[in-house]
This record gives sequence, C-alpha cells and structure tokens, in this order.
Amino acid sequence: MDRRLNLTGWGFLLPAALLIVIVSFVPMIQAFILSLQTGRGTRLTFADPLWYNYQRLLGDEIFKQTLLNTFIYLIIQVPIMLVLAMILASLLNNPRLKWKGFWRTAIFLPAAVSLVSYSLVFRTMFANDGFVNDAIGIFGVEPVNWLGEPNTARFVLILGLLWRWTGYNMIFFLAGLQNIDSSTIEAARIDGANAWQTFWRVTVPQLRPIIVLTAIMSTNGTLQLFDESWNLTKGGPAYASMTMSHYLYEISFQRNPNFGYGAALSYVILILVAILAFIQLKVGDKRD
Amino acid sequence: MKRITKIAVSAVALAMPVALVLSGCSSDGGNGGGGDNGDDNTLTVWAWDPNFNIYAMKEAEKIYQKDHPDFKLDIVETPWDDLQTKLTTLAQSQSFGELPDIFLTQNNAFQKNVINYPDLFSGLGDSGIDFSEFPKAVADYSTVDGVNYGVPFDSGTAIGAYRTDVLAEAGYTVADFTDITWDDFLTKAKDVLAKTGKPLLSGQAGSSDMIMMMLQSAGASLFDNDGNPTIADNAALEQAISTYTELVKSGVFVEVNSWDEYIGTFVNGSVAGTINGVWIVGSIQSAADQSGNWAVTNLPKLDGVPGATNYSANGGSSWAVSSNANVELAEDFLKSTFAGSTELYDTILPKAGAVANWIPAGGSSVYAQPSDFFGGQAIFADVVKFGASVPSNNTGVYYYEARDAVSAAITKIIGGADPKDALAEAQSTVEFAMG
Repeated sequence: MDRRLNLTGWGFLLPAALLIVIVSFVPMIQAFILSLQTGRGTRLTFADPLWYNYQRLLGDEIFKQTLLNTFIYLIIQVPIMLVLAMILASLLNNPRLKWKGFWRTAIFLPAAVSLVSYSLVFRTMFANDGFVNDAIGIFGVEPVNWLGEPNTARFVLILGLLWRWTGYNMIFFLAGLQNIDSSTIEAARIDGANAWQTFWRVTVPQLRPIIVLTAIMSTNGTLQLFDESWNLTKGGPAYASMTMSHYLYEISFQRNPNFGYGAALSYVILILVAILAFIQLKVGDKRD
Repeated sequence: MKRITKIAVSAVALAMPVALVLSGCSSDGGNGGGGDNGDDNTLTVWAWDPNFNIYAMKEAEKIYQKDHPDFKLDIVETPWDDLQTKLTTLAQSQSFGELPDIFLTQNNAFQKNVINYPDLFSGLGDSGIDFSEFPKAVADYSTVDGVNYGVPFDSGTAIGAYRTDVLAEAGYTVADFTDITWDDFLTKAKDVLAKTGKPLLSGQAGSSDMIMMMLQSAGASLFDNDGNPTIADNAALEQAISTYTELVKSGVFVEVNSWDEYIGTFVNGSVAGTINGVWIVGSIQSAADQSGNWAVTNLPKLDGVPGATNYSANGGSSWAVSSNANVELAEDFLKSTFAGSTELYDTILPKAGAVANWIPAGGSSVYAQPSDFFGGQAIFADVVKFGASVPSNNTGVYYYEARDAVSAAITKIIGGADPKDALAEAQSTVEFAMG
C-alpha cells in the first residue's frame, strides 16, 4: 500500500520534473558542452585543450574589467541596499505608523517598473543637460558628466539599482518582521534596551534567515546584471561600467558570434554564484 | 482492471503537459518565415525604419506591381539590433525556414554576417543586376570573395552641415569650410566658438564614428588587406585621433552620452553644425525654426596623410536576399526597383531623403531641386557628387571589435593616456578577439 502511494506520488511529480529536466537541465548540459567548443558562428569544433575557453578568460582584459565592475556593484550596492531595506521595513512595521499601506506601496512601487524603462529615465536624468545637472546647478555646482566618467557612471548605476531593488527586498524583511514574536521586543525594552539596541541585538538576529535569503538573491541578481549596464551606459566609458552578462551578450550577439566562449563565461558566472551562495549559507547558518 | 485505469490515468497525466508544450512549439512555427509560405507572389521583408527604408520598400512594391499586379510585399518592422540577433539565432539553430525573402543589413555588418553565416544569404552573381552602376566603395561593403550579396540601398556619404547664420555672425561663409584641412577647420571653428559661443560639432562619447569617417576619408582602415588589425602604428589613425582629441579639448567638439542628446545638440541650436552620413539630414530638418539657415558641404581632410580626401561615408545599408527566399522573384524585384528604377528614387528622395547609390538615378531632375531648408542649395545633387569620390575602405569581419577597441582607446587618450600605449592595447584587444 505504502509503496503504491509512493509510486502515485512520484507519478504526479514526474511530469513537472520531466519538464524541468527538458527545459532547464538539458540546456545547461548542452551549454556546458558548448563551452568546450570553439569557433565562429555555426562552425564549432571541440577545443584543444578542452578547457581552452576557460583558460582564455584568464587572459581576457575586458573580462577582468567586467568582473571587477560586477564585484564593485556587488560589494557596494548589496550591503547598502539590504541595510536600507531592513531599516525601512522596521520603520514600516511600527504599529503606530499612519498611512501604512501608502508608504509600503510607495516604497515597493519601483520594483514594479520595467528594468528598461527605469534605466532610460535614469539616463535622461543624468544626461549632460539633464535634470540632475540642472538641479545641482541651482546650488552653483558645475555640471558633471555623469555617464561619461568611469566612477560617476558606476555611481549612477548603483543608485539606479538601489532605487529599483530596495523596496523589493523590504517586502521580504517586512514578512520576516511579522514572524518575530513581539514579546521578545517587549522583553528587551523592559530590560532597558533603547530602540537602536533592540533593533540590532534582538530584531536583526531573528531576521537572519531572511537576510541570508535576500543576500543570496541579490548576489545572484547582481552577478547577472544586464539591463542597467546595457541601457544606461552601454558599458561605457571604455568598458568601465560593463557587467559580465553584458560582455557575454556582446561576445555572443554583438560581435562575431563566439558562442563557445560565451557559454564558458556563463559557466564562470554560475560557479561564482554557487561559491558566494555557499559562503553566505555557511556564514548565515548558525543553528545551535 | 483498476490497475490499468491507474496506469492510463498516470500516462495521460504524464503526457498532457509535455504534449501541451510540444503543440505550443509546432503551432507557432512557419508564421514568421517568408519564402516557404507557398504564395509565389509574396515576398517577406525585414527592415527597420517606417519613415525611411520601409517607406522606400513600399514605394518599390507599388512600382513593381505595375507590371506584376499579383505581387505583394509583407514588410515586418525589425529594428537593426533585433534583426542582427534574429539572424544570429536563426543561423545558429539552422532554422533557415524562418528567414524572410529579403532583409536589410547595415553595410558595416555585412561582411561579418556573410563570412560567419554564408548559409543565410543567396549570392546575387547570376541575378543580372549590374553592380557597376553602384559606386565601388558602396558595393564593396556587401561583396565577399568577388561575389555580390547585397543591393546597396541608402548612401552613407558623409557631409559637413553647418548653420550659415552662426558662421556669418563670426564672419565666415560655408565656402570657408569647403575643401579645407582639419587644421584650417580647427582654427576657424575656435574662432567661431570664441565669437558666437557655439561649438561646430558634437557626437557621442565612446563612439568612434568621427574617427572612422576621418580614416575612410584617407582610404585607411583598421585592417590590412589580409584582415590583420593595423591599429598600432597606423599613421592615419594616429593623425585622426590627435585631431579628434584636439577638437574635443578645444571645445569645438562637444561630447555627449547618448544618441538623442547628440541629435538634441543641433536641433536645439546649442551646436551649430555636424558631420555625419547624409541620412542625418532627416534629423537636422526636424528643427523647423532653423529653416534656411543650414548649408551642406564636404569634410575637412586629414593633414599630412597620403591619400587624404574631403570625402567619406558613415553607415548606409544594403538589401540582402536570404537563402530561404523565392530567389528568382526577389532578384527580379530588386533588379527592377532599387537597381533599375529612376522613378523609385525620384519618389523616395524628396519624401524620405533617401539618397540613391544607384548612379543612373543621380542624373534625375529631382536631385537638382533646391531645398528651402538648406537656403536653396540643391544638397542631394552635391551629395551624389561627393559619393563618387568616397574612397573604399576595408570593413572586414572584425570591424565592430576593432571599432569598440578604438573607442575605448580614445576615451583613455582623452582621459590623459599615452596614445601609443592606448592604441597598442587596442591592437592586442582586437588580436585577442580574433584569436
């Protein structure tokens, strides 16, 4: 009986599992095989040595530049965003706050905007004769060539990411906060902890699973960042703001198509995501 | 019995989603394709600009319909970036059945696509089209190993367009900017800037369009005839870059960050001229308040570079016939319209500013008609004359890689890097991409 039930269970799982295998795992294996091949366009042959494309990445200056850019985004943007999201979430979780629905919607709304359109709006705002230069001009500040200088271009990109994704992550923290037993907070307050101490010593530790979740999701998202790099700056000036995924697209579709090399790059991104997620899980998981 | 039903049920449960997915695939196929739709009189076309190349195609359709009443075109608007991605994807997946009969291709990308994906194209060698009726420099873009793969459409002949009222304010006329060298240009443009506060040129930072035009004006390129990159130790390129750097540093050339900003600089009047392919005329004319205040002339030429001329080109596109096409009909259609109908060019020139590459069309009276916007100048007749003098240049397979590398180098040079080092780095970047 048990066996039969088990089989029925598996039977129900099978269609979905098969679909995942066919549309997700099989292409992944194909991409791996592709990453061992080299050649232009359709004329692909197995590389000699097989790991040639991976070896080639080590000597690719543009790849190193895009890797650096991506990690700059990751290291600066993700921590700021998560801390902001946490602070916003706990502010909005305050039971005495008025207009709660409005604030929540307003902060979450950017996450509903298409990546392309917000990038274009940012590009217009930060154009040489754009809104931002006009605004700082009022205070007598010289106009800045925001998208034309490496560091300011990266700054605008990070600003865009913060605007777009902070609200999204805040929702996870809000959900996490609802699950925290309010008696723990009350107890802290009775013990004489101030708001700051309560937040960092009582609330944040209880949010750990959510922090790990959002950190992994953000890391994953940042390593695969494409739209902003493509739409805001086209990767410029001189590759200074191009992300790895943008370079991957260039290799495969903009330049002479080198799909083997592109596939190898995609596997490097996968490996990086896996390593970082593993580290975050290890660091975040402190179960007794 | 019970067991059998169960097996049957689970089999159906298993098969259902898979079948749904598969049917989803099959019902979609075939719609996008062109040549295989069984209709012998319809051609599918991919092109990208409703006011320009699509408009021209529609006019060509009308002309061909006079002799072939059953003939029809199915034009699909496909922006160039998408078109290139589609071509790559279709070639990569070998789904040639999805190709249209005819598609438009940027001249600069033509060789790359033919050489990487010869299976996408039909050679036009036996089409009966007389390619000697096109300027060699233009037909060369779509010629690979002596075989023509494209019928040239719009001309990318470069022009210098200037605001006559601004020049006059500084005491100059357009004649002062005709047949000059870049050194002369710099001196005069600095003077104009000092007297009127208006720079004469603008462009996108990190785009090397201006450099490429300067290079081609001297018949130089980023590759030698064997296709090896010649970015380092290229006298013409060094001269072009030092000229460009000087233009930017003196404030005569304003760098902006996007295409719309670039168009904006001269449409809103903050910049008093531009140098680009003749298709830029469409954008210039959108500033109706400046009507009568513009004039068109040739380009300054590079100093001290052998073979330098005042003529160049930027952009332009050609019609390709796909491997999936109704080849006979497509070839005959192109031959009787874009490579054989003065009437067509007479229609599309005034309406869309499409300057013909087809030399016999240049003799038409429409080209000699004065343009009010350009102060009564017959600009198109001039442009056709310029076009005949444009030196050929070698785009090659790795054109885009080389151009990107040079763009990056220019950004670094303007930022203060040593030109020799930056160009050597660009050379190795391109060699790496080719390796």
